[in-house]
Amino acid sequence: MNETITKELSESQIDQDLLKNVNWGGKFKLWLAFLAVSLIICLYYYYQQLQNGLGVTGLHDYVSWGIYISNFVFFVATSLIGMLISSVLGLMNVSWVKPLARIAELVAVAFAMVAGLIIITDMGRPDRLLNVFMHGRVQSPIVWDIAVVVTYVAISVLLLYIPMLPDIALCRDKLKNVPKWQQKMYKFLALGWSGKAKQFKIMHNYTRILLILIIPIALSIHTVTSWLFAMTLRSGWDSPIFGPYFVSGAFVAGCAAVIIAMYFFQKNYKLKDYITVDHFDRMGRLLVLVALVYVYFNINEIIVPGYKANTADAKHVHEMLYGHESVMFWLVQLGGLVIPFLLILFRPMRRPLPLTLISIIVLAGAWFKRVLIVVPTQLTPYYPIQNVPENWTHYSPTLPEIAITVASFILVLLIMTVLAKLFPIIPIWEVKEEINHNKK
Amino acid sequence: MKNIKQYRLIILFCLCFLAVANVNAQSDWPVPAKENENMSPFLFDDDMVLEGRISYENSCTSCHGTPGQDDFTPMAPPPGDPASDQFQLQTDGALFHKIKMGRGSMPKFEDAFADDELWNIVAYIRSFNKDYKQPLPNMEGVEIPEYSMKLSFDDNIDKLVVKVFAKNQPQPEVSIAAYVMGTFGKYLLGKSQTNELGIAYIDVDPTMPGDEEGKLSVMVKASKGFGRAKMNEEMVMVEPTIRKSAIEGRHIWSTDKMAPVWLKVSFFITVFGVWFVLLFIVIGLRNINKANKEEA
Repeated sequence: MNETITKELSESQIDQDLLKNVNWGGKFKLWLAFLAVSLIICLYYYYQQLQNGLGVTGLHDYVSWGIYISNFVFFVATSLIGMLISSVLGLMNVSWVKPLARIAELVAVAFAMVAGLIIITDMGRPDRLLNVFMHGRVQSPIVWDIAVVVTYVAISVLLLYIPMLPDIALCRDKLKNVPKWQQKMYKFLALGWSGKAKQFKIMHNYTRILLILIIPIALSIHTVTSWLFAMTLRSGWDSPIFGPYFVSGAFVAGCAAVIIAMYFFQKNYKLKDYITVDHFDRMGRLLVLVALVYVYFNINEIIVPGYKANTADAKHVHEMLYGHESVMFWLVQLGGLVIPFLLILFRPMRRPLPLTLISIIVLAGAWFKRVLIVVPTQLTPYYPIQNVPENWTHYSPTLPEIAITVASFILVLLIMTVLAKLFPIIPIWEVKEEINHNKK
Repeated sequence: MKNIKQYRLIILFCLCFLAVANVNAQSDWPVPAKENENMSPFLFDDDMVLEGRISYENSCTSCHGTPGQDDFTPMAPPPGDPASDQFQLQTDGALFHKIKMGRGSMPKFEDAFADDELWNIVAYIRSFNKDYKQPLPNMEGVEIPEYSMKLSFDDNIDKLVVKVFAKNQPQPEVSIAAYVMGTFGKYLLGKSQTNELGIAYIDVDPTMPGDEEGKLSVMVKASKGFGRAKMNEEMVMVEPTIRKSAIEGRHIWSTDKMAPVWLKVSFFITVFGVWFVLLFIVIGLRNINKANKEEA
């Protein structure tokens, strides 16, 4: 049934291949130290921001949402892929995604967790986050957003954890040379798993509930994020298709992120037999599909207001197409979306290395696309910008702002590497199940 | 090169000619001696300057530009800047006469403005001249009447009724102008003249928005010769405005307490519903351990 894993592999071979990465090697410690040091450097800038307020950023009265919020939108977007791969494709019994489900879920958890933190970095007084809970209005999209992001993180964590129970039990049973605390952790997290039929039944039931529940939650997390913009009466944001436009864009960013993670794990963890060339090929096709949907929404988003010669929305679109923002716009749209998906249409481009390189470009394009959504609108308010300091008429992020944004990426990498070192990155029991199934 | 030099010379010559021609054109505008010595019966004060400014901006800026900015429209002959010497060296009477009568492309404002309004414009033009001292007419033997007014509103005919008295005697042929005072300025209600009974009628549009009681703040001016009077009064003349609070009732834009019921219900049911399921699953995970023990 699963054509992607073709090699004949014995169960013990699988255990050995997939568990050997759960360790603390010297290379890994070096990488971890590098991440930690970079994070501390970036956190120093956050300390500066805490001390001096948002004045250390390039934000001002007009552009009060800069790369922080663009980054937030990007993170929420990328985290959506967990839903698409493990839930939508999983429920449709698309069996080739099974080895990738955990990577996708890992990407989802890491990005969704950090997305919440990014909102806090955009606040000059983070302690006032409490006000949302104490005085929040149920009518406010920011209240919905916080409710939905927290819920999504919780479901994603459960969806990462529950299907991992058999593998955690395997770690508990087989890994005897890991530190004591790690053994204790496996014992605690395995919940006494012993592979009984009833236990599998409970696990399947809960996973199924979560897989169904996560679809509306994931859709609403990014729809609500889009509403933060779309419910504001401003040219460029005031658009009824913002919800699906954001969701379709999210899948593009997420697919690219998963492909990059796949490549990284395949190379470093030597998982050629589990994450195969065929997996990259299929993920490449999936990326083409979601990119096409996104292109369709982009065309709608541009051509409808652009058709009307003289409205504020049309001016915004013209600014994008051949005005001040046009260089970035065309780089993002052509370089980051259209050309990549046209390239991936050719089979050689769907081989692991080219596809990963293309995915990096797509992911970078996706990040800048969020900046294009967030920033230019604020620079063209309906009341013209007048009698203000000259630097309020444009926006460029400052060093602390960039460092804090980089910190969010470091944090994602940190979460992903630590989790991928504590637990097997490929669902061992599912791979075994597949192979047994194929043998029959 | 040679050609360009020649062109420059020609252009320079033309410009000089135009400049001379203009001065000539200005000085060629004869004002009858009597008009030239005419003086304002009113002392130019800030109030007059302000009103003159409004009239100027409505009727004069399009050609003469903003005084002192030399931004008048290029025309032949050029309209000139009213703050310049070309204007300021003329007498009040000459300015008054030229605005009133017009000539060539300068329109005649006789019908557009009453005499006192024309003097307002002169007052405004003079406000750009620091050295200006207003020449005052010889007031000997002239008695300035002191007007008093009574205002009422006739709601049968929707007219503002203005009675003008001086020493308890009704005054005929007094010019009346009535305004509604707004937050940022005044709105001209109408102009009229008193009849032989000393009464003037001014139309009122009853659909104008008043305050909660239908009151409007009215300002009435009376003038005749040297006599002037001004009066402010709050009068019930129009439909009352019924004010509604923008956040009255349940609205999406209202406070949390006044949120629409459907929104509250759907939001809380969804959030609590989902978290209930999650809690159910987290608690249910104990069953895995139980299942292990059961069969063991």
